[in-house]
Amino acid sequence: MRKVAMVGAGMTKFVRRALETPKELSYEAAKTTLDSCGLSLDDVDCVAHGTAPDAFDGIHQNGEYMACGSGGWNKPTMRVFVGGATGVHAIAHGWYHVASGLFDTCLVVCEEKMSSAMPHAQGFFLTIFDSITERPLQPNLLWIFALEMNRYMERYGYTKEDMALAAVNNKRNGLKHPASQFTDEVTVDDVVNSEMMAYPVSRLDVSPVSDGAAAVLLAAEPVARRLTDKPVWIEGVGWTLDTAYWATRDLSYPRYLDKAARMAYDMAGIREPHKQIDIAEPYDPFDYKALHHLEGLQLSPRGKTVELLRDGHFAMDGNMPMCPSGGLLGVGNPIAAAGTMKACELFWQLRGEAGERQVPGNPRLGVAQAWGDLMQVSSVVVAGI
Amino acid sequence: MAILERITRNIDNRYWDPGTKAFPVKNRYTAGVAGQWFFEELKENGKIYGSRCEDCAVTYVPARIYCERCFKRLEKEKDWLDVGTEGEIHSFTAVHRTKTGEEKEEPSLVAAVKIADGLLIHRLAGVKPEQVEIGMKVKAEFKPKDERQGGIEDIKHFKPL
Repeated sequence: MRKVAMVGAGMTKFVRRALETPKELSYEAAKTTLDSCGLSLDDVDCVAHGTAPDAFDGIHQNGEYMACGSGGWNKPTMRVFVGGATGVHAIAHGWYHVASGLFDTCLVVCEEKMSSAMPHAQGFFLTIFDSITERPLQPNLLWIFALEMNRYMERYGYTKEDMALAAVNNKRNGLKHPASQFTDEVTVDDVVNSEMMAYPVSRLDVSPVSDGAAAVLLAAEPVARRLTDKPVWIEGVGWTLDTAYWATRDLSYPRYLDKAARMAYDMAGIREPHKQIDIAEPYDPFDYKALHHLEGLQLSPRGKTVELLRDGHFAMDGNMPMCPSGGLLGVGNPIAAAGTMKACELFWQLRGEAGERQVPGNPRLGVAQAWGDLMQVSSVVVAGI
Repeated sequence: MAILERITRNIDNRYWDPGTKAFPVKNRYTAGVAGQWFFEELKENGKIYGSRCEDCAVTYVPARIYCERCFKRLEKEKDWLDVGTEGEIHSFTAVHRTKTGEEKEEPSLVAAVKIADGLLIHRLAGVKPEQVEIGMKVKAEFKPKDERQGGIEDIKHFKPL
């Protein structure tokens, strides 16, 4: 397989309600990405794009619909969608296109426009559950995250205040991100005292509903070296599925991620990720998930994550900054685009181009992760310079 | 549906309907940056706009904000143009059945109307199915201005010239 690098990245602002159509959002992210590395659409050999459920954009077979906005006109174009994991999965998918030798360049574009769903995108989640055993109980995502969060807290004796620390950390980082949809810092008290949604989940434990798009350009080694002095190499990719009987999963430990992370680290030749990884972008739709996922990513011992967080280990100036972008909690959560935004962050951080939110000490190796489908799929990408 | 009408506060809706136990969700679409301009011109001025990429020598109808062939940004001030309200029938069909399968009293006509390099799909009126021909020149007939809502149905139909 050939070495593959990210050579360009770009994204739209994440907002609650964009005027742009899904096609136009995709165009803005894709165009910015091409401009970032001085390429034109002619230089793109193929397109790998992703959106999560069709229902959010409200366009059945959304992949075909948004292909022209993603640069897919008259090009080999292929969509992946694995719910929330789509944004990182699409990187693995694009990596394949280039690593295989089939194409020299691949434009990866992920988009989500959740504001089309009225009154709220949660309504569409009802249909992802088992129609016989679960749907009559009217479940939604907040419920089932609440079950998981409760179990995670119970196992290690964590409190809501502990979990809120992750929200405070990520939201603070996000304030420095020019594409963030937030303007205010929050405190642990703000999070704990925000409106109770489904115990133990309060409103500020949760990332928002967003519209947005993000993209990266992947290139094979010789092309990447011609294009830039600082290619950001895709060192490893991994993805796995746990059982679709989601309630029978281990709720306190993300096994679906354990194997995906190990797959990516093996490919990257990483033996001690907790020592070798410089920056981590764990998927954080909820604050506890950031911590839960750090454990699944083998970046923190199980049950010790809050202690490390309190000690500043995951702070911007700590040993392993967590979500320097701000993550979904700090930038926003247009589902598929959020994962790709994390890959963009690795690109900017590892090249030293993250501006105000640049992690000090020249980080050389980073990991980004996303999670989704029926809460049982995870995708991981390891990038290095 | 009018494109300018929006519910901006989720709280204005009730999520779960206690009677039916349903969580009714529907999609409400934004027309987009291009769509907003395009439909405002349709509604306010009765004009059909296209956007032209000089590099690719293509005029898109309805107008877009980018060229899908080369990704050039098509600016409203520079690259948008009034393409008139006339076109030619590129293809057509006569629909004989309703969507539930009953035979219609009169078949209804639908055409792909070529305007510049784009196609608008719309109804045809003022002509019998047996008289329609590919290549026939047609013209858009608009609703009166006070009935226009900023949607594709602000054009009532196309009619032969």
